[in-house]
Amino acid sequence: MARNPVKDQVAIVGIGCTGFSRHDTRTPLALGLEAATKAIRDAGLTAKDIDGIVALGEPGAPGPHQFASALGVDTITHWTRPAPVVMFSLVDAVNAIYAGSADTVLVVSAMIRLPWNSRSAANDPFRRSVPSSMAAIPESVAMATGYTAWASRYLYEYGVTREAWARIAVNGRTNSLRNPLAAIDKPLTLDDYYEARMIRDPLCMLDMDLPADGADAFVLTSAERAKSLPHTPVLVHATATGMVGENTEDQLVSLQRHGQHVVVEQLKAKGDFWIDEVDVFYPYDGFTIITTGWIENTGYCAPGKAGEFLREHWVEDENRVMIDGKVPINTHGGGLSEGATRGTGHIREAVTQLRGEAGERQVDGARTALVTPGGFFFNSQGALLRSAD
Amino acid sequence: MTDTLSDADLVARLAHLPVDRDTAEHYRGYLRHELVLNRCADCGRWHQPMRPMCPSCWSWNVVPTPVSGRGTVHLFIALHQGPPADGVDYSQGPHPVVTVELEEQPALRFTSTIVDCALDDIHIGMPVELAWIERSGAPYPVFRPAGLTDGEGR
Repeated sequence: MARNPVKDQVAIVGIGCTGFSRHDTRTPLALGLEAATKAIRDAGLTAKDIDGIVALGEPGAPGPHQFASALGVDTITHWTRPAPVVMFSLVDAVNAIYAGSADTVLVVSAMIRLPWNSRSAANDPFRRSVPSSMAAIPESVAMATGYTAWASRYLYEYGVTREAWARIAVNGRTNSLRNPLAAIDKPLTLDDYYEARMIRDPLCMLDMDLPADGADAFVLTSAERAKSLPHTPVLVHATATGMVGENTEDQLVSLQRHGQHVVVEQLKAKGDFWIDEVDVFYPYDGFTIITTGWIENTGYCAPGKAGEFLREHWVEDENRVMIDGKVPINTHGGGLSEGATRGTGHIREAVTQLRGEAGERQVDGARTALVTPGGFFFNSQGALLRSAD
Repeated sequence: MTDTLSDADLVARLAHLPVDRDTAEHYRGYLRHELVLNRCADCGRWHQPMRPMCPSCWSWNVVPTPVSGRGTVHLFIALHQGPPADGVDYSQGPHPVVTVELEEQPALRFTSTIVDCALDDIHIGMPVELAWIERSGAPYPVFRPAGLTDGEGR
């Protein structure tokens, strides 16, 4: 039995984003402060209203105490530095508000290109010394290579081609062209995907999210207090994080049972709506194999059928996916084309859509969102969000 | 002989590998050409990676035990770029990485590279066996297609 006493009790009331860039030279602190001040102002609040700070624990990113002093807040009663991928931070903020640890919480995340994933960052004297989190030996199936290895298994078990991943990459790029926050603005075709450089076969350059500099921030408070703030509150309807015990990348028992399945079970049990009533869908795309996993495991199609599904719901003249002609996927471009954000971009765009403020990207009448950040192993997560209107 | 190698000497000899107290016996096995994984002496289950307690029954009576090294390719990557290592030259072509499901137990796996096999011939489901190469002056366990005649591999 999945309990959900916090259902609709906490709202996202402020968002702030720097936009994403492959040319920025600012520090994570500078980026985070820009996003944080924008989010607090967006919520119609000031520094003195913030009594909780949750700072995503991205390597090299400032901690909550640094944000507290740099923002000139008065008193903080709850602060944490959760592991990356956004929901660990949002879940913590929601729980803190519901439990009374804080009333109004700032969640902030700053990402920068690092020497090991960006040549330009490797040439930046201020970034050269940031340590690498990459595997020390080639014969390792961990992090990036973990997804690549299971991508090989996906192709093998279902006897499919890379078509689904190609469509995910192109869909993201097409959507990013209408997103002024995106780091990249060059259109992409399916042929471009197949010609892209292989990095770790079977995944190529365009299967991996785009290293970029930028920050996102969110302000959350109780649904009750949210009623007096300027924007339409976006209610946190249900959240989930999930993993299975055997989650070591090369020891995961199978593609048929991992963190994504746990998250989906939780969200379905906790929420009052599911995919038939979801208006906008934000599956994570740190690697395209993660996205196809979410599409299948949330139930849009059967396991192994993402390629077929995306082809069937592809809108040729728009060069993107519209499920049943009405539900787009990753309207902001996702991490693949807006820029790698550990999922903050997916959440921010869902909030923007549910507020009806997405400009030319706006999905008419969007009132419910399914956001599924994270991968398979130890950061699978999800959220059902809805407009308070 | 190698069993008496001090911890300090083991770490020095295998400086290119992430040796710690939980994994030391695994790496010590390299020096005598044995692929050693932890097996629980109480419930008999193998587990990977090396951990000091059995995840199945919580016994601490885990014993580093050699495996046959025979198994089947379960996952396969061709690295077009990656971390540097002695004898790995990405400019000469992609470096294969295989995760092999070992015959000792379902879903018990070990990851390494594969030798004596053209890249195009590597595929998920292929039977493989253990072989040894030299890397950074020490033995390193790899796989090769099962049933080759030469006993020691390349």
